[in-house]
Amino acid sequence: MRHNWSCEETEAQLTEYLDGTLAASTRAQVEAHVASCAGCASMIANVGGLLRRLARLEPVAEPPNLASAILAATLGPRRGKSDWKAWSGWLRPFSQPRLAYGAVSVMVTVVVLSQALGIHWRAPAIADLNPANLAHVANREAHQVYARGMKVVSDLRLVYEIQTRLQPANETEQTTEPPAAAPPRETIPPDHDSPRRLMNRIDRNFPLPHQASLTTHTPSRRSIG
Amino acid sequence: MWRSEADASSEADEPLEPDPQLVQHCLQGDGLAWEKLVRLHTRRIYNICYRFTGHRHEAEDLTQETFLRIYGALSKFQPEQGAFTTWMTSVTRNLLIDHHRRTKRDRITDSMEDAPQIETKRAPGRLPDQVALDSELSDQVQRALAKVSPELREAVILRDLQGFEYSEIQKVLGVPEGTVKSRINRGRIELAKRLEEMGIRPA
Repeated sequence: MRHNWSCEETEAQLTEYLDGTLAASTRAQVEAHVASCAGCASMIANVGGLLRRLARLEPVAEPPNLASAILAATLGPRRGKSDWKAWSGWLRPFSQPRLAYGAVSVMVTVVVLSQALGIHWRAPAIADLNPANLAHVANREAHQVYARGMKVVSDLRLVYEIQTRLQPANETEQTTEPPAAAPPRETIPPDHDSPRRLMNRIDRNFPLPHQASLTTHTPSRRSIG
Repeated sequence: MWRSEADASSEADEPLEPDPQLVQHCLQGDGLAWEKLVRLHTRRIYNICYRFTGHRHEAEDLTQETFLRIYGALSKFQPEQGAFTTWMTSVTRNLLIDHHRRTKRDRITDSMEDAPQIETKRAPGRLPDQVALDSELSDQVQRALAKVSPELREAVILRDLQGFEYSEIQKVLGVPEGTVKSRINRGRIELAKRLEEMGIRPA
């Protein structure tokens, strides 16, 4: 059978042939040609394969910052973001632990200061922010803190006084009856006692019952003048 | 048919053709509407540019340039003359052609900078793993496309990679429908030949 349909004509009809949109008569002629032309048969197979490949092809991913760069170039920097995103971007540094810790400690400081300045969060009043008021409250608070501190110090002094007075009493009782506690073995002037030594001495002067029984057997020697 | 591929390139439930209201809001200067439009179309425009130039950096620059031009020319868009997507694609295509003419002389010894690994990776007789197949296919098509004339290349990209209808391609390219069909047809044959020359047989 002679080719009454050329390779060029087949090529020209290829897309419509593959799409199935050719008229029946034209289609028959193409098929007759392809049946006897290895070149055109191969071409049709290749193009058919190509179309299947192209249909399978996924879009290439654009660089991740491209859309943002476009928005920055058109709308200006940062305006491209919606409000929420802008805020979340601003807050992002605080998601780091040390910055979060810093932020929390700043807030705690503010709360403590405001307490000291007498600002009441539950019943805020403009009068609280009056400088004279603030100064007055701060002054009062400071005096209270100072007074409490002074009281603690004087209490300590009192305890110490009592304790040093008790010690000579113990010493005098030693001759007649066993002391309630073993006197300290060290001879350090009381003024230079560290709090820890002071506590040790208090323990020895006012021992627990079982300690007392143990300490009575230890020989004691004192040289406080 | 042409929606399926484009949908994969954008958000799952976003249509390719933007809501006319979105375009309208853009025209009125709504920044958020523009942002949505940009995010919806960046990948599509980037893919057209990448498939045409074969260079990722050039595609990136050209995509950015395209959007800048679109942003500046928004007021010139006339809805009655066609879809917004078609209009955007025309702007993209015009930039690509300009770019091609500008850089033609530099391209005489052109090679595919972004896909050199395929040559070495493809040992004779070895079938690639199914997993790597798609990425390799993408690179193969890209290298073959680079060997097809720009006129035929753009027609195949718009039809077979972007899924445009003939009538839309006709508007983008500004040529009669017969010419569009002929270019797509010749482009496909040419591309299949190039792939065959590269030793890639139909799947």
